[in-house]
Amino acid sequence: MPKSLFVDPAELRAEGKIEFQPIPVNVYRKTLQEEEAKYGKEALVRIWRDITILREFESMLNQIKTQGKYADIDVSYPGPAHLSLGQEAAAVGQAFLLTKDDFIFGSHRSHSEILAKSLSCIEKDSDEELLRIMEGFLEGKTLRAVERLGEADSVKELAIRFAVYGALSEIFARNTGFHHGMGGSMHAFFLPFGIYPNNAIVGGSGTIAAGAALFKKINEKNGSVICNIGDGALGRGPVWEAMNFAAMDQYRTLWEDKTGLPILFHIFNNAYGMGGQTRGETMAYDLAARMGSGVTPSQLHAERVDGYNPLAVIDAMERKLQLLKEGKGPVMLDTITYRLSGHSTSDQNAYRTKEEIAAWAAIDPLVTYRDSLTKAGLAKDEEFEEILRKTKDRMTRICRLAADPEESPYVSFAETPHFLEKLMFSNTHVPSMDPSRTPQALLPKEEGSRYRQLKEKIRSATVDGKPVSKMKLFNLRDAVSEVLLDRFYEDPTMISYGEDVRDWGGAFAVYRGFAEVLPYKRLFNAPISEAAIVGSAVGYGLCGGRCVIELMYADFIGCAGDEIFNQLSKWQAMSAGILKMPVVLRVSVGSKYGAQHSQDWTSLCTHIPGLKVCFPATPWEAKGLMEAALNGTDPVVFFESQRIYDVGEQFHEGGVPAERYEIPIGDTNLIRSGRDLTILTVGAALYRAVAAADRLSKEFGLEAEIINLHSLVPLDYTKLVASVRKTGRVLLVSDACARGSFLNDVAQNLTSLCFDDLDAPPVVVGARNWITPPFEFDADFFPQADWILDAIHERIVPLKGYSARRGVSETEQMRRAKEGV
Amino acid sequence: MAQAVIMPKAGITVESCLIGSWNKKVGDPVKEGDILFTYETDKTVFECESTASGTLLAVFYSDGDEVPCLEPVCVIGEKGEDFEALRPASAASSEAPEKPAQAEEKPGRADGKPEERGKAAFEPAPAAESRGVSPRARKLAEQSGTDLKGAVPSGPNGRVIERDVRELMRSGEKAAAAEPAAAPAVPAEAKAAEPEYDEIRFNGIRRTISRNMKESLLNSAQLTHQFSFDASALLALRQWLKEAGGPAAGITVGDMVLYGVAQTLLTCPDLNACMPDDITIRRYRHVNLSVAVDTPRGLIVPVIPHAETLSLEELSRKVKELAAAARDGSLSPDQLSGGSITVSNLGGFGVESFTPVLNPPQTGIIGVCKTVDRPRRAKDGSLELYPAMTLSLTYDHRAIDGAPASRYMQTLCRTLEQFPRLLVR
Repeated sequence: MPKSLFVDPAELRAEGKIEFQPIPVNVYRKTLQEEEAKYGKEALVRIWRDITILREFESMLNQIKTQGKYADIDVSYPGPAHLSLGQEAAAVGQAFLLTKDDFIFGSHRSHSEILAKSLSCIEKDSDEELLRIMEGFLEGKTLRAVERLGEADSVKELAIRFAVYGALSEIFARNTGFHHGMGGSMHAFFLPFGIYPNNAIVGGSGTIAAGAALFKKINEKNGSVICNIGDGALGRGPVWEAMNFAAMDQYRTLWEDKTGLPILFHIFNNAYGMGGQTRGETMAYDLAARMGSGVTPSQLHAERVDGYNPLAVIDAMERKLQLLKEGKGPVMLDTITYRLSGHSTSDQNAYRTKEEIAAWAAIDPLVTYRDSLTKAGLAKDEEFEEILRKTKDRMTRICRLAADPEESPYVSFAETPHFLEKLMFSNTHVPSMDPSRTPQALLPKEEGSRYRQLKEKIRSATVDGKPVSKMKLFNLRDAVSEVLLDRFYEDPTMISYGEDVRDWGGAFAVYRGFAEVLPYKRLFNAPISEAAIVGSAVGYGLCGGRCVIELMYADFIGCAGDEIFNQLSKWQAMSAGILKMPVVLRVSVGSKYGAQHSQDWTSLCTHIPGLKVCFPATPWEAKGLMEAALNGTDPVVFFESQRIYDVGEQFHEGGVPAERYEIPIGDTNLIRSGRDLTILTVGAALYRAVAAADRLSKEFGLEAEIINLHSLVPLDYTKLVASVRKTGRVLLVSDACARGSFLNDVAQNLTSLCFDDLDAPPVVVGARNWITPPFEFDADFFPQADWILDAIHERIVPLKGYSARRGVSETEQMRRAKEGV
Repeated sequence: MAQAVIMPKAGITVESCLIGSWNKKVGDPVKEGDILFTYETDKTVFECESTASGTLLAVFYSDGDEVPCLEPVCVIGEKGEDFEALRPASAASSEAPEKPAQAEEKPGRADGKPEERGKAAFEPAPAAESRGVSPRARKLAEQSGTDLKGAVPSGPNGRVIERDVRELMRSGEKAAAAEPAAAPAVPAEAKAAEPEYDEIRFNGIRRTISRNMKESLLNSAQLTHQFSFDASALLALRQWLKEAGGPAAGITVGDMVLYGVAQTLLTCPDLNACMPDDITIRRYRHVNLSVAVDTPRGLIVPVIPHAETLSLEELSRKVKELAAAARDGSLSPDQLSGGSITVSNLGGFGVESFTPVLNPPQTGIIGVCKTVDRPRRAKDGSLELYPAMTLSLTYDHRAIDGAPASRYMQTLCRTLEQFPRLLVR
């Protein structure tokens, strides 16, 4: 909604028509002689060599999966094998011109792509560089294993063995694999060659690759990003979101350098999404290349190319990479190919005829491309046979090495029981992801109006016992803003985006005034594409940039489910710690806006391993936790409640410090001490618990101890256990629906840790298991102070003279559970 | 040459497949690529193509049979060729093939051991006990030796909670007196039968002793050495004090042994110590003497702090005060804790030697036994009798070895033999 862009009624209402440019389809016409003149005979033969390496790799896995052996080697491999058998020429063509500055992202069917990119980089890198890479990777562990294959006749041959072995032992889940075997077939990658993660979620790489391109553009890095996905992925919403996100007008209209994102959406179009036939059955596009026309006036410069001719793919790649260099991205390529084997080895090919498979086998580039070279007199049959022999020999020896549990051992969970546990979080302290650069800003921090306002505010809720006026009060919103503003001036890679964050300042004004000091590229409005917002942040983060993104309501977590639960959470551990994820996902918990805008979904996030989850309820907590989140490199889902953005600091002595400080994520906040009862709170329910505790003290002489759980994952139970052992009674309250609430987990843990000290069962008070009704019924749905008193009276310790009005009998509790409400 | 067609492996986790139906029968001509039969996994149905051309010579399995993957299913070759060598072991004849056991999908590296399950380790508590007592209330009752039967429940659903036990402790005697009235009347026929035994639940002190003594023997490495010394000097001094009258007349031989221990123990810090766990020792800077006292409620062990700073007379007085307090139950918890060594005197009961049990977490306990006359060879070669008193040291071998422990006891014995010297020092 920038004011600089005028929404002109005259223009919008004027008559006209939209015209499309013709989309090129298989227009490659060059002769072999032209290609030889351009790349040389050796390169053309090497393309065939690379195809054989890829083919042998996939054939080997096929044999292992179906027969349990390859050559004479017995191999048991229970994991997935989504083979790209038949698609190798397209993979080699795609990689031919790429350097390690170009990042590729893949799919579940990407063995060929990672090997082709490795071979391409090996060809381009110097021997010294290759040795440096191999020695430096996993402290040389993979290289040491490869050296046991015997001496290689060149460094390049050693590097080929290294790449093939690294990928295969990763697939076999061995400690010598590219990431200690923790990723496997569908997640293999190798950063030193610019090979970024494959993804087992169809189209999962779409948004992540867009984020990587964003990283390259914003941080002015060389190279392009290639998003290798299949035609089946075009049915996925997040892929559309990614294309639009990568192509937003603002890069050219509003951003400082006016260039597009350097990303190629490369569709390996093998005609099937598993068994569903895309053209003619499950999709509507007729030709996948048409998709670009729905995204931008440039139609993403899309074209179709014949992936059964590696030279045609190289030709198309050259033109697309040139467009990206010129800042005309994103671009799209619809590369036709065909999978000769099944989707997986249990595929019975019920959806296609033998004739169809035979027709494609007849033009297999392994045969046809070789024939064309022979016919042109570029190489003799014996030469090809020698290449083939060498490929098979190499593959056999590598397979034997990778399959041998002595030479290529599994990680021993018995000997190192904490191996995987240690990979779940990086737990680092990295205030700036790139200390070598100065953060870009439009004004010095001190000259911005928001900075000056923050400095003038009063940092406690009361002064001399009197409440501070709302306009002067440093509130929870300010606490978040203050840290973000500081960090924009410390970490040059740090960016923020989300819906309406720039001119509007975020729906809840956390970013108000930031547009005055930050260039567009560091703070921008995202489209209403939650999947793209989170997925791109994942890509930005794993490339080494810090990112703070915002989902306007926690309820929209569902729109970014895969990106939060499968991508943001998992890449650190799946990469065995090679990737970091310095991403803070801010989500606000709404109120007053009904069933789809008022939900506390912390419990969904705490359930997923790999996410840190915070929910500060006071300004002091918010500031210290945000500082900690931004000093770390772990993904943090940071919940903020709209109910309490305006509260000042009521509990921390001296209010919110003006200087920077960290609260360790996992700590708990003692709000008040008491000996009779412990109340554990999450989020805005803290303030209702305080009201309840006041009544308990005044009317019933019970002193409640209140501890706020501002961190849910991780969570240090030490102080909770000490408190419950002291009081013997505990009530837990939050605004999350009671069924499946994280607090039930806390209650269960406390029951087992403090059983002999309990005077009553722990009681969880949560919201009803209904839709959130309109705000007028708030007190009937969300826990209130009197609900807390009722629960104490009926379940923990009867209060003298008290009568519960909303109490829940055990029969009623069981009835509700039985009804599912 | 005859060739077997094997059951294809339809996936790495598939161990066997079911034959769906045969498209060919024995004797039919077959070309490579012809569909021979269909087979099924739990997921889907496949068609098996012939991998050879010729005549279908034999079929080892029929429709519906389960066949292990990679086993020969049938044979193709020239008519009349021998194929028996190809017959799989699991299919003795085509009429009655043995069915292999149902194969389960299992991960490649699982060891597949069945989980061992024992019977429930404990029986449920008696109904009367499990009814509505919070764990915290139960724990407090146990620690304080309070009988829960007298508690008036005030928790939700008639649960006895902590405050009910505290209330009971405050009005303990009243509740105890009321108890018989609340007890159900014993049925007449039950009265007639004499019980074989009386079962008594321990009170608080007995429970504590029970727990401590068991813990002591389970959790430490204790052993006992016996020593004896010439008690002539002690007995002579005792006699003299008694005859002299006055405040010192009540000093006993036992008091003198205590005094001897208090004055010498700091030379052996590992016996004036506690072990909070297996790898830590706390050496006390003062001698805090725990003195075992027999009371009607059981053994009670009050502590004399800083015993080495007291004179013999002070020590003797202190022992008497504490013993009296122990008997009438007026000791405070402070007076019962913090001991660094225990002395237990069973000499008055005629015990000649015994093996005291350590008072955990202390590392030593000295038993004082009866004095008996023993013969010894005098300087002139004749036999003479002398009063010999036995001391039994039990010590924790985790804390101290036999030689240093014995060395200390030698020192103690020598000191007691020359007791008057101690007084003039």
